[in-house]
Amino acid sequence: MLQFSKFVAIRASLAILTLILVSFIVFTLMELVPGDCAERYVAFKNSQGAVISIADIEAERIRLGLNKPYVQRWGVWIINAFQGEFGDSCILRLNISQLLGQKFWLSLGLCLTSLMVAYIIAIPVGIISATSNNRVLNNSLRLVSYLGLALPNFLLALMVMLFSTVMFGDSLTGLFSKEFRDAEWSYERVMDFLGHAWLPIFILGWSATAFAIQTVRALMSDEIGKLYVTAAEARGVSGRRLLMRYPARHALSPIINSLGFDLNRIFNELPIVALILTLTEAGSLLIEALARSNDQQLAGAIIFMLTGSIVAINFLTDIILALTDPRVRRSIVG
Amino acid sequence: MTDTSNNQASTDQKLKEAYFTASQGQLIWQRFKKNKSALFGAWVLIILILSGIFAPFLTPYDATISGRDKDYLNGAPQIPSFCDDNGCSLRPFIYSSERTRSIETSFRWVTIVNTELEGRRYLEFFVEGSEYTYLSFDINLPGEALDFRIPGFTFNTHLFGVDKGMIHIFGTDSTGKDIYSRTLTAINTSMAVGTIGVFIAFIMALVIGGISGYYGGFLDSSLQMITDTVRTIPSIPLFMALAAFIPDVWSAETRFLFISMVLGLIGWPTLARRIRTHLLTERSQEYVLAAQLCGASSSHVIRRHLLPSFTSYIIVDLVISFPYMVLSETALSFIGLGLKDPVNSLGVMLQNVTSADVLLNYQWYFIPVIFFITLVLAFVFVGDGLRDAADPYSDSHK
Repeated sequence: MLQFSKFVAIRASLAILTLILVSFIVFTLMELVPGDCAERYVAFKNSQGAVISIADIEAERIRLGLNKPYVQRWGVWIINAFQGEFGDSCILRLNISQLLGQKFWLSLGLCLTSLMVAYIIAIPVGIISATSNNRVLNNSLRLVSYLGLALPNFLLALMVMLFSTVMFGDSLTGLFSKEFRDAEWSYERVMDFLGHAWLPIFILGWSATAFAIQTVRALMSDEIGKLYVTAAEARGVSGRRLLMRYPARHALSPIINSLGFDLNRIFNELPIVALILTLTEAGSLLIEALARSNDQQLAGAIIFMLTGSIVAINFLTDIILALTDPRVRRSIVG
Repeated sequence: MTDTSNNQASTDQKLKEAYFTASQGQLIWQRFKKNKSALFGAWVLIILILSGIFAPFLTPYDATISGRDKDYLNGAPQIPSFCDDNGCSLRPFIYSSERTRSIETSFRWVTIVNTELEGRRYLEFFVEGSEYTYLSFDINLPGEALDFRIPGFTFNTHLFGVDKGMIHIFGTDSTGKDIYSRTLTAINTSMAVGTIGVFIAFIMALVIGGISGYYGGFLDSSLQMITDTVRTIPSIPLFMALAAFIPDVWSAETRFLFISMVLGLIGWPTLARRIRTHLLTERSQEYVLAAQLCGASSSHVIRRHLLPSFTSYIIVDLVISFPYMVLSETALSFIGLGLKDPVNSLGVMLQNVTSADVLLNYQWYFIPVIFFITLVLAFVFVGDGLRDAADPYSDSHK
């Protein structure tokens, strides 16, 4: 127990250290964007007809604290970020946590569901393809997983849209029907959401599934040839019982370990898929912030939150692994 | 009788000798040749790359706005045929079309296809057309005297064309640019982006992974920390953030260079990690110790002993990471943060296809997608084949 809590403490501090490094990278990126928030505020006032001068911009900078040294501003930003407070958006001039709130959880939910769907498909399929000697099955699975690599999600989304527009005259886009877009959460809204969400989940899960099938397959075929499996077979264990009790359990831990990076891959595709399917969640806000309006505060907040959830998933998977596998516990603590 | 068996034995012997004395490259090539799908992928890849390189010759028109057909905007693909209602012809032909607007068309621009005999445009081969140059460089160094120009070779022959008007076998886009010409040029762009990106990523991975793997210890842990952190940040949002810095005033070519560099600067962690792992296992081998005892310097050991031990792995990794660079570029250009006209790439070509108008009426905009999926698939097949071939134990796995 002591060993376990020591492990958790070490992992937690590592995770926080990673987050601090990430925040530094993200903050530096935000600083590098040409122009700053003060200029944007004042430019907005200018567009409303107010006459402005350099002095106004300077005053705005002081009000926003932009005249303070770089490291100090980073420190303030990170302390606020850990409390879930990212300040105001430069362009939309709204509180970011308010702006993002529900949208971010919606995106995270979409991504996690895709990840889950990917593994629900990949684990049985991967195990079957690793154990069966059927050439046709193996080769077709291989082709599917190659296609998963070659056909990136956004091209898949485009193809689905093309197909559905030509066949059904409906492009299947959006996350909510018109009447539910700004409604309160209710049973009907949830149902409406699920009716729309299957497509982004399928598209986001597409290449993740291909990757996962390959991983599961490779791990299983590595484990199946090992001596302990033969030994178990000699003891008379066979069939599904053999697979589930021995090689599958061993193959599972690297998979749990890589969940964080799978999530990373799904996040990668999220903004572009969101753009194509006109989803209204964090991914499309990110594109909006970066491509259209250079809103560095908002973009930084989104990237930080995405990365934060990956770090959190990595932390959680490590804890789960440590609970199930004593070797992992010992590996860090020594 | 004995003669033939002797012969047999001696060829066997020769084969064995050839096997044992073969270099690593030869062995890999032997194994690679056995893999039919990878070999097929390699052929497809070579054909695609060659058609990218010879795109100006293979395509009838310039891929930029100067090659536009202003009489055929958003035009459907024109497939040459031999026969129609007016009888057959030995030479394949297409119909000419015209854009008109009159009271009959409610004053909207409408394309009218002329299917009469005189409306035929006959296909011709090796026609003269727009000029293109190879190996031409303009070098602009500071100072007038240092500027110099290599004229290169100029040609104006194109593989095919029509006797009058223009032909668009994949149709045209909204500005009348030939989609076929653009597609082949885009292959070139993708290959260039991929090459520059992979090259930069490779150099960074080699330096960072090399240092961290060879020296180990504290340096290794801190470098690993950084590598892991960079790996945690989702790369496309990061690309987007970096690409958003590009000032609007930059020329398309500068943009192109910057985007390729950004792709490389973010793509290194995976490769760096792999190089590190390999070095960590290799550096404790006896031959490294022997070299060190002989007084070899670190850089000598790395260059002469360690690097050759995993060159094949590095090559395989580079081939495998290539399509990801290409796809990232496509994604970036697609959302409008990457390359811009007149530089052609798949992403640039797909920029406006999500509108309902295109989806419903101009589906030929999607033809280039087929080429790119083929290109990426070919890369994946070749990369996978190479990985299997480079693994000396791949035979024993099966």
